[in-house]
Amino acid sequence: MRPSTAEFLHQRFLSYYAGAQIPAPDALSQREWGFLFFSSRDDPRMRRHIGFGTKDELVEYLRTMAPAHVFYSTAYYDDPAAPTMSAKGWAGADLIFDLDADHILKPPFPSYPAMLSRVRDETRKLIDLLVVELGFAEHELQVVFSGGRGYHIHVKALSVRQFTGQERRELINYVCGIGLDPALLLRPAAESSGGWHGRQLRALEEYLDWLESLGESEALAHLQSIPDLGRGMARQIWKRRRSLFEMTDASIRKVLRPLLSEGNDAWRSRIREAGVMADEPVTTDIKRLIRAPGSLHGGTGLRVTVLEPRELEAFDPLIEGVVFAEREIPVEVVRDCRVSLLDHDLQFEPGPTRVPEAVAVYLCSRGMAEVGGVAP
Amino acid sequence: MRPVFDAKDLARYPFLQEAQAKIAGSQLENLETFLEGEVGRRIIERATDRLESAISLPPQALNDHFREFHARIPNALESLYAYGMARVIASCTGDRTVIERLIGYEAWRSAFYLSSEADEEKRTEVARQLGLEVSGEAVPVVRYVEMVAGLREPLWRLVNREVKGGFVRVHASELDVLLRERIRVVIRGRGLPGVPPEVCALLAPAVGHVSGVLQSQMLRDLGPIDESRYPPCMAALVAALAGGANLTHMGRFALTAFLHTIGLSTTQIVEVYQRSPDFDIEKTLYQVEHISGSSGTEYTPPSCATMETNGLCVNRAALCERVGSPLGYYRKKKGGPQQAGTAGRDPPSGSSG
Repeated sequence: MRPSTAEFLHQRFLSYYAGAQIPAPDALSQREWGFLFFSSRDDPRMRRHIGFGTKDELVEYLRTMAPAHVFYSTAYYDDPAAPTMSAKGWAGADLIFDLDADHILKPPFPSYPAMLSRVRDETRKLIDLLVVELGFAEHELQVVFSGGRGYHIHVKALSVRQFTGQERRELINYVCGIGLDPALLLRPAAESSGGWHGRQLRALEEYLDWLESLGESEALAHLQSIPDLGRGMARQIWKRRRSLFEMTDASIRKVLRPLLSEGNDAWRSRIREAGVMADEPVTTDIKRLIRAPGSLHGGTGLRVTVLEPRELEAFDPLIEGVVFAEREIPVEVVRDCRVSLLDHDLQFEPGPTRVPEAVAVYLCSRGMAEVGGVAP
Repeated sequence: MRPVFDAKDLARYPFLQEAQAKIAGSQLENLETFLEGEVGRRIIERATDRLESAISLPPQALNDHFREFHARIPNALESLYAYGMARVIASCTGDRTVIERLIGYEAWRSAFYLSSEADEEKRTEVARQLGLEVSGEAVPVVRYVEMVAGLREPLWRLVNREVKGGFVRVHASELDVLLRERIRVVIRGRGLPGVPPEVCALLAPAVGHVSGVLQSQMLRDLGPIDESRYPPCMAALVAALAGGANLTHMGRFALTAFLHTIGLSTTQIVEVYQRSPDFDIEKTLYQVEHISGSSGTEYTPPSCATMETNGLCVNRAALCERVGSPLGYYRKKKGGPQQAGTAGRDPPSGSSG
């Protein structure tokens, strides 16, 4: 990034923070803060271990420094500004789920709007699971558009605040369907359609349909490629594909273990889709920094936006996350790209052009353009 | 109406409010005189025995141990005080392993008595005080997760349970185990008493003895360094190094912490990294020393779950299903002559094998 571009972005962020209402997280004085700044150098250093006693101090800092990225700790500390993690005195942490396009989609990635819409579907699925199955109240959930490629869910329930990383792992594994035991399928459930029992059962039906659609020789080749599943068992599964559950418990157990194992990619991907594709380490890390709502994302210029769960459906991050205006700015585009923002849908090729400020901030933040250049 | 717990009950369930009150009310104010008296010495001895058993007996040997021990609770009140004293001594050692083992021991002990508790009212009241009502067949998700975090079998994982509306369905036959784990959570949650240094000084012989028992138990658990016992994930990391691959940060961290914990010296660990073609001795030394504790924090190797999250859990073997960490695998995977017989049943000797 050219120095002039870094300065342009810094100025724009200054103007935003000068007037913005920034919501402070609860227990502000127990949070650690970390910041990254605009720089023309390729060596971003985070300034962290910073604490604010009051909201005024926080706002004053943002207005003066206008950081490129603003993070705070999901954890509560006795002394958040202490220079080492062990000296901070951990006193609990919010439960966080992170849904990010990088984790949900495989390259080649679709357009940015399509990507965000896919992640929103996944977020909706997660909210549903948290409320209907895990029993959290909707008002305990805060949904946050990250300003980048996804959404975060902050669970503010006091009951989980003291959870260790291991306890949080139980929850994220439930959400993602990690560690599912195939034998679960054999257990009689009170309501077989709900929870993982039902999801696993439906995934198995789909998988067997898919197997059928392959035809005998291809299906056998697939089955034999699964680790620990020999030729004899492959034949047996193919023959019994419509009547698996008529086998005795003992023999079906023998079949299901290898068939529905991690080593079977076609099965694993179905389970992944049946669950929620959240990023595990974010949930299990009890000392993580997360983007602060109300701040701007220095990689897009979009606002990190808080939503009520029920507002998610109608939320359009590429309209409601935009905080800059229409004033025209000359920029020099450095590569082919397409931008959908507000009511603009613009296609660019390398070269100088003039664009609305909101688009200029987006292009420059993402490294797709430098500010300046001569407009045609 | 609440059942009345007698001294024996309190010795069995020392986490009960009534038991806590009894311990608090026992006049231990004149501690020095008390500790030096005959009763005091006996209680210290019983507390030390308790800690020795906690450290040296594996969980599967505990019920037999209690069955044997159950026959001779000569003085219930002294047994209750020994519970308190064991906590004081554990607190003085300041060692997390001692503390965790004691908590586990106490949980198994009370659960042992609870499973054979004939008085239904008492059983209900104990469960109530633990915050785990036994009525119905559902446990709130949060409670459940706290209880099963230490259980390894797949059937306890939340993902393998019926979960609805914030409740986990449990079967009546599972309640004994859940109560035991709940006791563990409750005792752990209360923390240990903060003991003033002058009191720890009075208990120095007992504290020193317990630390010694732990030390020799750990040496026995780990045995001599043996590359053939490395879990598949660690063997893969070593093989990757030898084959010229560049390990990820997490891979380096996991391997170094593992090798350090099983007893390799810094020099020996650096030798392992030397097999890698992009070996940089200064950088490696720095990383190894940092991870093995020169910075003040000694890192323990990651759990299986963390290895899995980071894509480092490879070539899973059957034994992996029964352990929670690569270190657990290493411990279990023995088979040399020194392991003949059931290790845990031997009386704790205090000297290393």
